Amino acid sequence: MLQVNHLCTSFFTDKGEVRAVDDVSLEVPAGKIVGIVGESGCGKSMTARSVMGLVRAPGKIKSGEILLDGRDIVRLSEHERCAIRGSEISMIFQEPMTSLNPVVRVGHQVEEALLLHEHVKKQEAEARAVEIFEAVGIPDAKKRLRSYPHQLSGGLRQRVLIAMAMICRPKLLIADEPTTALDVTVEAQILRLMKKLCGSGTSILLISHNLGVIAQVCDYVYVMYAGRIVEQADTFTLFDNPCHPYTKGLLDSVSSLRSGAQVLDTIPGVVPNLLHLPAGCSFSMRCGCCMEKCADLLPELHETEPGHRVRCHLFDKEEPA
Amino acid sequence: MVRNILSRLLQAVCVLLGVALLIFIMLRIVPGNPIATLMGEHADRAVIERMTAELGLDQPILRQFIRYLADALRGDFGTSYSLGKPVAALMGAAFGNTLKLAVLAALFAWILGITSGVIAAVRKNGLLDHLFMGASLLGVSMPVFMVAMLLQYVFAYHLHWLPIAGVSSWKGFILPAVALGWNSAGSVARLVRSTLLEILEEDYIDTARAKGRGQLGVLVLHALRNAMLPVITMMAVQFSSLLSGAVITESVFSINGIGRLAVQGISGRDIPLLQGTVLFSTLVVILGNFLADCLYSVLDPRVRKEG
Repeated sequence: MLQVNHLCTSFFTDKGEVRAVDDVSLEVPAGKIVGIVGESGCGKSMTARSVMGLVRAPGKIKSGEILLDGRDIVRLSEHERCAIRGSEISMIFQEPMTSLNPVVRVGHQVEEALLLHEHVKKQEAEARAVEIFEAVGIPDAKKRLRSYPHQLSGGLRQRVLIAMAMICRPKLLIADEPTTALDVTVEAQILRLMKKLCGSGTSILLISHNLGVIAQVCDYVYVMYAGRIVEQADTFTLFDNPCHPYTKGLLDSVSSLRSGAQVLDTIPGVVPNLLHLPAGCSFSMRCGCCMEKCADLLPELHETEPGHRVRCHLFDKEEPA
Repeated sequence: MVRNILSRLLQAVCVLLGVALLIFIMLRIVPGNPIATLMGEHADRAVIERMTAELGLDQPILRQFIRYLADALRGDFGTSYSLGKPVAALMGAAFGNTLKLAVLAALFAWILGITSGVIAAVRKNGLLDHLFMGASLLGVSMPVFMVAMLLQYVFAYHLHWLPIAGVSSWKGFILPAVALGWNSAGSVARLVRSTLLEILEEDYIDTARAKGRGQLGVLVLHALRNAMLPVITMMAVQFSSLLSGAVITESVFSINGIGRLAVQGISGRDIPLLQGTVLFSTLVVILGNFLADCLYSVLDPRVRKEG
C-alpha cells in the first residue's frame, strides 16, 4: 500500500541543515493501522507531511522515495500531487479548533474535496456529505452542514475533519495526533471510529505521542527519536518486549503511573538539538546503557526477531573477525 | 441583526448631534467677530452690529443652535457669508466632483494595493516583494501635496499628457485621483501582505491543501477571504476620509469639491459653510464605518449575531 524508503526531509535554516526526518523507512499494509510514536519534535509529523507533500519551506524532501501502490509520489509534479491529495491519501490534523476555515460553512468544506476530485453535482455532494456526517457520528447531519466551525464543539470539529478526509474514500488516511486536543471520552469515540474505518478497507497511519492510543488501535508501531526510527515491531511485541532503551524509558514512564509509584519515572535529559546531533546514536546522551562506541558510531536497524527491529548497539551481531 | 442596526443608527444620530454642537460652540467662542472679518477693517460699527443681529449671532449659543438644527432638518444649512449662496446648494454642486475623485482614488488605491499586496505575499522575499514594498513605503510616507506636485511636474508640465489642474474633462481627474489614492494604496498593500502571510501559516490552509486544492485555489478560496476582513475595515475608513473632502488634493488641482469649500470656510470665517462641510464629513465617516461593520458581518460569520 504505502511504502516509504530511506526518506530524508531537512530544513535548511540560516544556522544550518536540520534533519527533521533522517533515513526513515516504513510500510503501511492495506487495511492496517500503523502507528508512529515519539516525543514532540522527533519528526513524526514531518514524516506525515512528507508523505502528504505538505512540507513547508525552508523544509524539503532531500532524498528517498514514497511509494503509493508502487508509484513514487515524490517525483510527481505539484499538479499530479494535488490530484492524489484528498482523493487517494488524506490527512487529519492535530488541531480541530484551528484546522477548519472559520468563514466557510463546514458542509461546503467537506464537499469541497468531492467537487474537486470526483466532479459530482452539488446535490450529490451534499447527499454524500450528509451520509459521511452520519457515518462519523455527527447528530443532525443535515442541519450541521450549514454550521460554521465556531458553532461546533472540539469533538464535532474533529469529526468534521475526519469526514472531510474520508469523503473521497482514500486508500490511506494519515491521522496526526487526531485526539490530542480532545478530552478522553471524545478520544475513545474517535478511536472507535478510526477502527471502523480501517475495517472498511482504509489503511491508517496514526501519529501520536500517546502510548495508550497506540496500544488501543495499532497493528504495528514505529518508535521515532530525533528524526530516526529507533525501534519497530507489531504492537503486542513492542509493549511486551521493548528492546531499545528509549522505548523502555517511554513505557516505564507510563507503567510507573499504573503501579502507583510516588515519583514519575522519566527519561533524563531532553531531546538533542537537531542542529547538533551526535555522530553516533542520537539517544546516547540520555541512555543508561551507553557504551563507548555509541557516541561515535550510528547503530544500524538490527532485526532481533522476525518483524522486530532495533537501532541500538546492544543488539549488534557478533562482528566477524 | 435588525436590533443591531437600529442601535448603530441611534449611536450615529448621537455622534452627529454631538459633533454639530461641538463645532457650533467652537466656531462661536473663537475670538473675533466673523462679520467684522467679512466686512473689512474700515466697516462702520453700527453696520457690523446690525448685520450681527440680523444673522442672529448676538443671541445665546443654545438658542442659535436649536434654530440651526430646526433649519437643518428642513435642509437649510444657512447662507454662506462669503459666497452669498445657500450652503446646501454649494455643497450639492461640490459633492459631485468630490465623489468622482474619491471613487476614482479608491478604485486606484484598492486595485493597486490588493494586487501588489497579494503578489508580495505569495512571492515573499522575492524581487517583486521588495519592489512593491519599497514602493508602498514611499506611498505611505510621501505627503499628498508632494506626490501631487511630482505628478503635475512629470505628466502635465513635462510630458503634456494630462491637464495640470481643473476638471473640465475626465482626464483632469486622473492625476488628482492617483495623487490622492497613492497613500491609501501603500497602506492597503502593506496590510494585505502582512495579513495574508499570517493567514497562509494557519492550520486550515494545510487542511485545504491536504484536500487537493492547488496553490491558486487555496489562495483565492481560503486565504483571501480571511485576509480581506481587516482590509475591508481599513478600506471603509479610507473611503470615508477620501469622500469627506480631500482638502489638499482639491486645492492643488483646483477642483471645486467639499474639501475646497471647507478651506474657504476657514479662511473667510464663514461659519455656515464650515459647519456644513464639517457636518457632512462627520456623516460620511459614520456611514463609512457603518458600512464596514455590515460588510464585516456578511464576510465573517463569527461576528454575526444570532437571530
